[in-house]
Parts: sequence; C-alpha cells; structure tokens
Amino acid sequence: MPVVNVLTDGIGEVNLRDIDVYRNRGGYAQWQRALTELQPENIAQMTSDSGLRGRGGAGFPTGRKWSFLPKNGRPRYLVCNCDEAEPGTFKDHMLLLETPHQVLEGILLGAYAIGSHHAFMYIRGEFEQGYRVFMEALAQARAAGFVGQNVFGTDYGIEVTVHRGAGAYICGEETALLNSLEGKRGEPRLKPPFPAVKGLYGEPTVVNNVETLATLPHILKNGPQWFASVGPPRSPGFKIVSVSGHVRRPGNYEVPLGTPLRELLEIAGGPREGRTIVAVQPGGGSSACLFAEDLDLPYDFDTMAQHGTMLGSGAIVFFDETTNFVEAALALVRFFAHESCGQCTPCREGGHWLEVTLNRILSGGGLDSDIDLLLSVSHQLTGINLCPLGDSIEPFLASVVRRFEPQFRGYVRRPESILVSA
Amino acid sequence: MTEAGPPQSVSLTIDGTPVTVPAGTLVVEAAKTVDTDVPVYCYHPKLGPAGLCRICLVEIERLPKLQIACNTPVAEGMVVHTHGQKVEDGRRAVMEFLLLNHPLDCPICDKGGECDLQDFSMAYGQGASRLADAKASKPKALDLGPTIVLDDERCIVCQRCTRFDDIITRERSLVVKDRGQRDVIATASGEPYRSNFSGNVTELCPVGALTSKTYRFKSRPWDNHRTATTCTQCSVGCQLFVDERYGTIARTMSVPSDDAISDGWLCDRGRYNIGFYADARRITAPLLRRGEQYVQIGWDDAVEAWAAGLRDALGAAGPQAVGVLGGGRLLNEEIVLLVALMQELGVTNLDWRAGRQRQATPGRYAGTYAELEAAQLILAVGRPPSQTAPVLDLRIRKAVSQRGARYVTYGGHAAGSFVGVTPLRSADDVENVLSGVERVAVVWDGIDLELGARLASAIDGWVARGVSVTTYLSGEANNARGAEALGMVPRSGGLPFTGMLDAAQNGRLRSLSIFGANPVLHHPLGGASVANALERIPFLVVSELFLTETAQRAHLILPARTGFEKAGHVINLAGDVLPVHQAHAAPPGTLADGDMLVALAAELAAEVPGPEDVLARATAALPAATHGFGDAAYSEGVTASKSDGMAAGKPGGGGLRIAVGSDIFAGGGTIWFDETLAELRPDPAATLSPATAARLDVHIGDRLDLLSSSGDDSLQGLVVRIDAGAPDDVVAVIDGLPEAPANSFADGDNVVLGARRAADALEPALVLP
Ligand SMILES: Cc1cc2nc3c(=O)[nH]c(=O)nc-3n(C[C@H](O)[C@H](O)[C@H](O)COP(=O)(O)O)c2cc1C
Ligand code: SF4
Ligand code: SF4
Ligand code: SF4
Ligand code: FES
Repeated sequence: MPVVNVLTDGIGEVNLRDIDVYRNRGGYAQWQRALTELQPENIAQMTSDSGLRGRGGAGFPTGRKWSFLPKNGRPRYLVCNCDEAEPGTFKDHMLLLETPHQVLEGILLGAYAIGSHHAFMYIRGEFEQGYRVFMEALAQARAAGFVGQNVFGTDYGIEVTVHRGAGAYICGEETALLNSLEGKRGEPRLKPPFPAVKGLYGEPTVVNNVETLATLPHILKNGPQWFASVGPPRSPGFKIVSVSGHVRRPGNYEVPLGTPLRELLEIAGGPREGRTIVAVQPGGGSSACLFAEDLDLPYDFDTMAQHGTMLGSGAIVFFDETTNFVEAALALVRFFAHESCGQCTPCREGGHWLEVTLNRILSGGGLDSDIDLLLSVSHQLTGINLCPLGDSIEPFLASVVRRFEPQFRGYVRRPESILVSA
Repeated sequence: MTEAGPPQSVSLTIDGTPVTVPAGTLVVEAAKTVDTDVPVYCYHPKLGPAGLCRICLVEIERLPKLQIACNTPVAEGMVVHTHGQKVEDGRRAVMEFLLLNHPLDCPICDKGGECDLQDFSMAYGQGASRLADAKASKPKALDLGPTIVLDDERCIVCQRCTRFDDIITRERSLVVKDRGQRDVIATASGEPYRSNFSGNVTELCPVGALTSKTYRFKSRPWDNHRTATTCTQCSVGCQLFVDERYGTIARTMSVPSDDAISDGWLCDRGRYNIGFYADARRITAPLLRRGEQYVQIGWDDAVEAWAAGLRDALGAAGPQAVGVLGGGRLLNEEIVLLVALMQELGVTNLDWRAGRQRQATPGRYAGTYAELEAAQLILAVGRPPSQTAPVLDLRIRKAVSQRGARYVTYGGHAAGSFVGVTPLRSADDVENVLSGVERVAVVWDGIDLELGARLASAIDGWVARGVSVTTYLSGEANNARGAEALGMVPRSGGLPFTGMLDAAQNGRLRSLSIFGANPVLHHPLGGASVANALERIPFLVVSELFLTETAQRAHLILPARTGFEKAGHVINLAGDVLPVHQAHAAPPGTLADGDMLVALAAELAAEVPGPEDVLARATAALPAATHGFGDAAYSEGVTASKSDGMAAGKPGGGGLRIAVGSDIFAGGGTIWFDETLAELRPDPAATLSPATAARLDVHIGDRLDLLSSSGDDSLQGLVVRIDAGAPDDVVAVIDGLPEAPANSFADGDNVVLGARRAADALEPALVLP
C-alpha cells in the first residue's frame, strides 16, 4: 500500500494541536534552522529544486511562483489560502484542525523565503472550529517566540494576521481572496497586473495553498532530493487526496503522486458491495470525468492533463453504475451558478441557463434539442471569462452528457427508465 | 514622482493595417486608430478596463484563447484580428448571454435608439432566442434615490455606475449587491443614492437600466433636437448638450470630449435644474407697480416707463443718483451693452456684486483646470469648491486619488470632497504643508477680501521661493468673471453696491436697475437692511425670471430670459471665453436683457455699439492681470464682508460661532422655482459636532432658532444635524435658502441659541410603532 505519513504523520494518534507535542516530534526545528542557518534564497532554492507544485488547484511550481516577485524594495506579503471549498476537497480542513502548527510553520517558512514580514491566513468562513484551533496555535507560537519580533534572537520579525471568509467559493480564487482580505467585494481581479506584482494592498504578494505551505518543513528537513525522487519527475512528491463518492471508506489519504487511480480506489475501500465504478472525477468539481477504462492511469498532474482533465486540488470522486448523472450534473452546475460572482457575462448567464435547463429536464419538461443545448451552451461559455470559475462547468457536464447520453435522453422521453449504464 | 521619459512607441498590426501607438496603449484604443470599432460595454476610457462584459474579444495571433481588447496592452509585433470566425463566434456567444434574460423593452425603453446593447445586437445577435424557459423576472422600477430609477431586468452588470461612484466621485455608495444571477445595483448602506453627480451614471449606463426621474418615459432619442452649449448654472462653464423635444427641454447631456473643462461630467445642478424654464410662475409680461399691485403692461410701455424713470432721476439729481446692479448672470454681450449705455449716460455707479463674493478675477497666477489637476498640493480657502464649483471638485478628487495630490482647506468649512482632506487652522500650518512641494493650486471663494490679501502675500512668497502656483476663484455667479472683466464695476468715483445702498438710505439714489440678481437674499448686509434701502429708491427696476425677494420690491419688473434661451458668451472661472447657444425658445412675452437694453438705448436716443462691435468686445481675450487675491481695488470702503474666516476666528469662549456655507441646490431663483427638484433642495439645517450637540442638549431632528449676538437677526426652525467631522463650538448653516436666509450672518460670528422644539414633539408620527 502506497499510503504514506508525511504531512499526516501523527494525525489521529497524538494531539498535534499542542505546541509541545508538535515540537517533541521535531516541529518548528526547521523554522529555527531557517532563521539561524539559512538565507531566504536557500529556502527558495530548495523549494524550486524539490519540484513542488501548488496544491491549491492550478499545480503551478511553487518556487517559480515566488521568483516572479519584483525586487523593488516594497513590502511583500504571503497569503495562505485556506478557503477550501472546491467540491470534494477536504484536506486543508483536516490539516487546519489536526495539525495547525505544521500549517503555521509552513506559513512562516514561506514568508521568510519570499522576504515577507507579514503573512495572512485566510480561513473559510464555515471553518468555525478550525479558526479557533488555528488562533490557539498562533497564540502558543507567539508565546513561544516563534511569531513576532526578533524571532530566535535574530533581527527578523513576522506578523501573522488571520482573516475569516464570509462564505463564498469564489473567495478561494486568489485575487478574489485578496479583495475579500482588503474588505472589498469578493470578486476576482482583472489580470494583469498579477498578484506577484500588485497584490494585497497593491504590494507584491504570493498566495499559496495550505497543503503547499505545510509541505515546506518536510522539504527543508529531508532535502529537496528526497521530495523530488518520489513520483513522476514533473509531478514529484506526496499529495493528500480527498476520496469520496461510491467508495467504502471515503477520506483523506496521503500518497505519492503517480499512484494509479485504481489503487487509490482500493485504498478508499473499493466500490460498494457488488457495484462497479463507471466514472471518476479526478480533480474537484471543475474537472472532467474519466471512465472505467481509465482507472489504470497514474494519478499525476501531467497524465491527468493529457487525458483532458486535471489533478486540481486532489479531490477524487468515484461514481458507480447507480449514479443518476443528470442529477449529478445539476448538482455541480447549480453549485457553480450559485457561486458565480456574476461579473462576467458568460459565467453569470450561462451557468444560470444550464441550471434552468437541467432543472426542466429533470422535472420532465426536457426537449430533444436540450442535449445539444447543454453541450453548446457549456462550450460557448468556456474560455472567455475573467477567472477559471466560468470555465469550470463544461468539463464535467460535457464529459457525462457525452458518455451517459442515454440517461439524459431517457429523461427527455421516459423519465422512469433512466439508469442505463454506459 | 520621477519624470517619465518620452513615451516609447510600439508597432503592431490590426486587421492587416500596421499601426504605431505609445507603449501601454490598450488594444481597444489602438483599434480606434485604424477604422475598426471593437464593441465595449464595461470599458470606458475614463473608468479604465474592468474585463466584465467580455464583448470586446479579439484574436491575437499566437495566443490560443480570445483576448479582451479592453485590458490587453499593445506589444511590439502583435498581430490583432478584430474580425474573423473565431471572434464572431465569441461575440455571438457573449451577445446571446447578454440578451438571454434581457427584457424585450426596446419599444418603451428610454435608451432605445441610443443603446449599445440594441446596436450590437444588430451586429452580433441571433434572430431567435434559444432560451426555452421564462426570462428571469426582476424589479422594473427600483427607486435608487431622489434622481435615479433602476430597471434591474435591463442591467447587464457592467459596473460602470459603481465604478464611476468609486473611481470618479470617490463617494463609494453604489455597489453590486448579492452575486451571480441574483446581483443588483444598490447602495452599500441601503440608504437612498444621493450624490451631486448622480446623473452621470444614467449616461454611463450602456443600457436603459438607470434612468433619470426627470427624463424617464419623456422622449425618444430620435425626437430630440440637440444643441451644444455652455452650462450657465455656475462658473465652471461645463459644456453640455440640450435635448429639446417639440419645444420642451427633455434633458441635458454631458459632452464626453470636453476634457478641458468638464472632463466629460456634469453635476446634478447643471444637469437637472431645467424644470424652471417652463414653470407657471415665470413672469411673462412686464409688470408695473400701481399702489399695492402690479399691472401687466406691454414692452413698449415698459421701455418707455423705464426710460422715463431714468430720465427723471438723471434730470433731478444727475448720474450720481442712478445705479446699476448685476451682470454675474448676464452674457458678455449684454454686459458690454449695459456698460456702454451707462457710460453714455454718465452713470458710474455700477457693480455686479449682489452677494458675498467681492472679487472674480484670480489675478496674475490664474491657472487652467489641467494645471489644477497636476498640482501636488491643492489649498481651498473659504467655501470649498464641492458646493461652489462642483465639477471642479471632481478634478480635485482626481488629483488626490489618481495623481497623489494632497488636499488641504483653510476656513473651517467641510470640504465635502470624499477624498482625504486636512483642515488647516493657521498660517503656520499652511507653510508647513508646503515644504517640498513644487506645484500648488489655490482655490479661494472671493468672499473675505482681507483674508484674500493675506493669502496673496503668502502666495507671492511661495512664488519667490520658486514654487509654481496657480490660482482659481470659485464664486457665486456663473459670469462674475465676465462682469468684472467687461466693466460692471464702479467707474471713476462711482459707488459700489454697498455704497449705493447707503446712498439709497440717505435718499440720494433715485433709480436703480437690477439685472438677474437677488441682493435681498444674498447680500451680506442682510435681507432686512437691503430691503429697507431698496424700498427707499423712488424708481427700482428689476429684470428677473420670477418674483424673487428683490423683484417684489421693484416698481417695474422686466420678464427676462436666461440659460438656454439666449445666445452669446460667458467667461468661466478659468478665464475661458465660452459660447452659449440658444437651445430653447423662451416663453412669449419675455426678452433677453440685451434686447431690453437695445430698446432702452433707442428710447433714450443713446448711442450704443453695434452688434459686431459688441461681439468683438464680448469675445476679446482677457487682458493679463497684474494683481492677486484680495486686491485693494475691490475694496468698497463700506464693509460688506464681516468675516475674518473661521480658521483665524475668535476663541469660542464657551459660545457658539456660525459657519455659513454653500449648497449646490440652494438659491432663490432657478432652483427655488423648479418643482421637479424639490427633493434635492436642502432643508434649512444647523449642523453641529456630536460634542457641541451634547453640550447644548440638542438631538438630530430637533428644530432650533439661532440669534445673532446683537439679537437683531435670527434664523428660525433650523433642523439639527450631527456630523462627526464638524468642528466643536461651530454651527454650520446654509446660505441662500429663502426659508431661512442667512445672509446677515458671516463666518465666525457669535450666535446664541433661541427657541427649540424636540423632534418627537414636532413629528409624532416618527415615534409611533
Ligand atoms: C474558483 C476558484 C476557487 C479556488 N479555491 C481555492 C481554494 O479554496 N483553496 C486554494 O488553495 N486554492 C483555490 N484556488 C486556487 C487559487 O486561485 C490559487 O491558485 C492557489 O491558492 C495558489 O496556491 P498554490 O500555488 O499553493 O496551489 C481556487 C481557484 C479558483 C479559480
Ligand atoms: S468567471 Fe464567473 S466567478 Fe469568475 S470572475 Fe467571472 S463571473 Fe466571477
Ligand atoms: S445599472 Fe447600468 S451601468 Fe450599472 S451595472 Fe447595470 S448596466 Fe451597468
Ligand atoms: S459644475 Fe457648474 S457648469 Fe458644470 S454642470 Fe455643474 S453647474 Fe453647470
Ligand atoms: S469591454 Fe472588454 S470586457 Fe467589457
């Protein structure tokens, strides 16, 4: 079994919320080493060398992202994105709740690496308990002298500000998040300028995912080569996947990237009794489905992209043959339509149109032409929006309409016999 | 700021045509240089890119996806296609989405005929809708505030309105509420949308979602007859279009290309104050006093009576017994005629100063609006431009918010600017903020000459230190500068208006002709004294639109024309000579002042210059001034401006001092007689700081009276307002309100509290559940 315990080490065994427990297991040692032995450039170099790719969804190489910051002497900010709301994703929440100090250490390392003295933690509004846990961890770390002025007796000082979202998926998008942090309406910003150049309060800013940052202490501890040697060369390292859907043991599992999908299914307990998996959505609500014949594909960024889908945030949803894909499509379309900030014409109008159409199909008012309409509308709303949310509807909808067209057609004609598997 | 080098240029190809434009130019702007038009909804040159509507998609070679032209800067060697299959497909998709839930309102929509959505639908829309479901239904007439109504179904969420309210006015009350399909334009506070610039959002709105209450369902664009002219409501001199529909003024519109003066905007006073033109209370026949009553007479009789009255006065006591007041609201041509005629008659008692403003010419450092915008420090002394020169204030907001200027005020009035303002309290404060500053713009209200003189000597000192200073004088009457420049000032040995009032009291002034001025409401000697003096003049002639406080004292009232009803020139506060074109036929029975004067001259057999001579003088470039603010030449010998300014004022001593300010909707003329704007007229209010209100034990909504320290003058029934930013021990009131005229009070005067009534005693309805 390829399950590993790197970021998840100790979870469920000891109380990692206690700073002493965390420290006894080597916690904050890398933070101390960074400040007393390493220059920011060393950490940035190690991160680059490790090949770490962002765990927030886009999979952008973390070291490269940091390198875009202009050297202009302006204050710069690190923002930790803990808005986790991508359908099917629940790994950041676990890290926040179970190992808040590891997250904080990652934030501190990231901030130091980019030369920032002020980091921001943006926590999804609904994570009420996670927020309290993190605040307590921050208080402990502050009391221990790990946050504040002259950390470890050096002349380096760092502040961490925690901000809670107010319940909008779009605020996970990095520029909407920055607007929200600034107290503005949570809607994505027009790019350029990019956050690296003009981000929070107009200053150079890096936004990184919780898991991305929580990985940093391990890269420092074990060296970039240790990380780079795991998994395929362009998708190195470990990843926490959130597996859900028609499996027996849904949950978070930490695995090396490149593990075949079928193995991930087994890790999660396999399909339910007597059932067969017919489809898998491998990278969150915005990703296109793969199907039974694709289960032997290795789970990594590039393989997923080559097969027309994506790894995204690592949320894997398995569907067995009992799935009503019309309802599944509606659930996701409704989500994206509901969460659209409404700035862009195609996203605002197109999502709503598809939702209305699917609702009508499900309530028996479908037309033959609706199948083409679903494909055509979802296609024409894609690729012309301001942020990626608008492009999130087509992949799943189009993939299941094409694959399970009889189900959709069945609704149009005979609502009672719909579960025709592919 | 570092000096930018010469702009680099970039060469690219748009639809096969090579173009070279400055680096940083957006593709949407570059496309204008070749003959192609990229459609836009959310983009606006003055608001910048927003990237929301997605209609401006273009294809850029080597980029896989279509790009938005409104946020893509040009790059060397870029190859842009604004047409072609891919572009058409993208735009068709966007159009389909835009029209999906858009109501089929065109036949009844105010925007129909000038709507970008309608126009681009013709180019990119499909004939039929693919929507099998009902269109989303939303509120059709949301009342946003006193001026604007929102049709939410028509809104395409381009956010031009909210961005205007953010970027241009900085008032930031309009927001997009909720999200996705459920979003709606609203105020953040939930309070009505009140702004002195609200009308601009109806023009910016690319569809018919935002409509003006004054224009809603009144006309269609193709029925409007359009004339370009100059706004004559204040001394900024904004260019505007007047749209007339079959003889009635339907609306006014900004002139987007008017960068030099209005920057493309209008204030709501200039835009909406048009209801008075057709008000039933207009005087439309000359009125002659017969005992306690007026009788209507014909123009021939009126001119004869006027001439006879003048001849009597001249014959009995010579030209010293005759006076003329006005000009600030006349056209240059009329001023030229008036001055020439009086010269011919030997009359030297001329003055335009019917209110508080004593001086109109900013003097030797006069600057342009562009120079004001480029200043690093803007100093407003006295009443702030936000209420005296509204659109000028938008430039101040722009200088502060977009160009990093600092804004400071001196004189104790609230700036009302919605940008950061530092109120200064002493001359030392002023010197301190100047350190290191190279370009300063100074705006003065022209009221307190003594303060102006101190300012002038300070400015001379700055200039001597190498600081570049430009000065502006934002006054009361729109053409004060024209009146002053063209000679409506006391001639050699003649009396200023305060002197004329003095002479009237002593029975030495036998005839006074007033043109478009209301000194009873506005002159700082106070309504009672002015009225008393006027009533002692044996022959008072007033040329007016309405029966104002002053006109009611006249023996002969001449029904005048104004604004869009006549043609000529005016001079704005920046010294630009601007054309006024006739855009609307005046009511029969009225006459332009210029025509009255020509008739009077003929009746008196007096020689006046002919039309060509008048035009030449009316449009001549202004001579360079040699003096500065507060020059002794403007002093009247008689003190009319008692104020020493709040800033330099006497200590409060536990007492209460008054600050008398302006409001763009105050006045006893065109605004008072415009029923369509009743909701915009300010209540007579007394604004206090929270601490002062607490000390006096008064509450929001209470009514109170204020008495001058002598007890001779009072302001009655003022509504209490509380403003956290107001200075302590000061009560701010508004000048020029016929219900509570404050002209006998000056900034810094001590006042005492008179009678008061608690709010709930007044309006019991307010406390019912
Ligand atoms: C609609 C939308 C929602 C997103 N939500 C999240 C989120 O909840 N958490 C997250 O880390 N990234 C989210 N992202 C991705 C972020 O924009 C950003 O790429 C990420 O935080 C960068 O961190 P990384 O480089 O460490 O992955 C979202 C992106 C989009 C378009
Ligand atoms: S794509 Fe959708 S969510 Fe993203 S900015 Fe546009 S409207 Fe908002
Ligand atoms: S009301 Fe008009 S200007 Fe405002 S967002 Fe809607 S369409 Fe745009
Ligand atoms: S600022 Fe003055 S000139 Fe301009 S629109 Fe307003 S009233 Fe007219
Ligand atoms: S004009 Fe470019 S996106 Fe609206």
